[in-house]
Amino acid sequence: MVHARLFLPLVFALSGCGFIGRVLQRSFAVPPEPARIERKIRDPRRADARLSVLWIGHATALVQLDDVFVLTDPVFTRNVGQLSPRLVEPGLDAADLPPLAAVVVSHMHFDHLSFDSLSMIEDKTPIVLLPPGAKASVPRYAFEIRELDRWESYDAGGVKVTAVPVRHVGGRWGIDQAWNIRAFTGYVFQYHGLSVYFGGDTAFDRERFEATRAFFPDLSLAILPICPTEPRDFMRRTHMDSLEALDAFSLLGARRMMPMHYDTFINSDDRPGDCPRLLREHMRERGFSDDQVAILAIGEQRVLIAK
Amino acid sequence: MAEEAAPPPDITPSKTAAARERRPDGVSPALRVTPGAAAGLWIFTQLIPSPLYVATSDRVGGGVRWQVTPLLYSFGVAAKPVRAFVIEPVARHSGAVELYVSPEWACCAPGDGTSWIARGGARLYLPLVGRGEALTGSLGGSYYRASDGSGASVEMGVHMLFSMLGLTVTVSPRLTGREVIGALHIRYF
Repeated sequence: MVHARLFLPLVFALSGCGFIGRVLQRSFAVPPEPARIERKIRDPRRADARLSVLWIGHATALVQLDDVFVLTDPVFTRNVGQLSPRLVEPGLDAADLPPLAAVVVSHMHFDHLSFDSLSMIEDKTPIVLLPPGAKASVPRYAFEIRELDRWESYDAGGVKVTAVPVRHVGGRWGIDQAWNIRAFTGYVFQYHGLSVYFGGDTAFDRERFEATRAFFPDLSLAILPICPTEPRDFMRRTHMDSLEALDAFSLLGARRMMPMHYDTFINSDDRPGDCPRLLREHMRERGFSDDQVAILAIGEQRVLIAK
Repeated sequence: MAEEAAPPPDITPSKTAAARERRPDGVSPALRVTPGAAAGLWIFTQLIPSPLYVATSDRVGGGVRWQVTPLLYSFGVAAKPVRAFVIEPVARHSGAVELYVSPEWACCAPGDGTSWIARGGARLYLPLVGRGEALTGSLGGSYYRASDGSGASVEMGVHMLFSMLGLTVTVSPRLTGREVIGALHIRYF
């Protein structure tokens, strides 16, 4: 590992991929043990909730809509891509997940599509939904794997999941972006009159957010990424910063927003704490309240609509 | 039911964000690797050689090996089990059988010159840890043609980092000058 610490950043720096080298260098400097979560939730079923969210970390969130649960971009592993270590342990152990109505995966990057994590939840869900083209990049599991194209829906037991357009990139390995040109998506979950938007990874895209609002004019919650942001010239094409996330929240017309995709893994030049700090500053400037934007800690569960 | 949170302010994106906004174009990705660039990258990665440690009963040397996979059947992936030439790592490390062709160049053994041989073979990949992402085992057999004859080899190996990096040992009892070959097996696509 010592050789990797010296060698890999040097290789990437010399090859012109200095950003990747810096990310690797910072990743190797992370303590081997992720930060522990005190009083981790063991039973996330909330009898008092119509709508609740538990942030497990990064883009992984457990959403409760009345009596059903949907899990987003499940990652429970100690690292992503075998190189980027976890900074904070998962906010919920995979073994403590309740039975799920569905699992959604927004795209194929390692921090969103984790094969080991899907193995951990193999007996928890009947189906995993993927963007178009992604199925060929996933191993077989016991659950059904189904691709949803934009505006297509999966409907079972009253839970409806619809794929909605976002602006990101497909592929997992770099080169496969050439043919996985549609393998990225957002989702809207609907159940008992509640509707939740999950943005996955996305850059700011007015047209796509407005189109989603036109289809889903009464979103109860928008789960939106606010990071990574640096280096901005590189990131802005594929990721929103916190200011853009607030704009996306406005364009979507959701009642509430929950930020995600920060402070869990090292995948940028951002320092832990940068993105939520900027989000709070922009909230103050723009007049958003803490009720409107629910900033959760990893492992925190928030009841957004009580029974 | 608890009172709903107030809706967000009017849809008035900030000047900063609006300035950053680019005109959307349907469902196109934010970045795109062109087919030409992908083809060039694929060819480049096929040219990256795997270094060899070549041993006989009385001397050791080095060498390099290239590999191309014309056909692979993956029994581990959820869709598109048959792949040709362009092989995603998951198709290999989740469990697969592949046919490969492999030019091989040996050198540097004291008292020996350099030599080329050509191999064609089949290899079985079995996922061991993490659906094969962390560790995959392989078993294979090949037929080789060298300037001084032809014959059969057997091979076994372990592969890590999405099967991109592996260690294989090829044994060719009748191949003069390279009975045992250890390879640092490097594959991308």
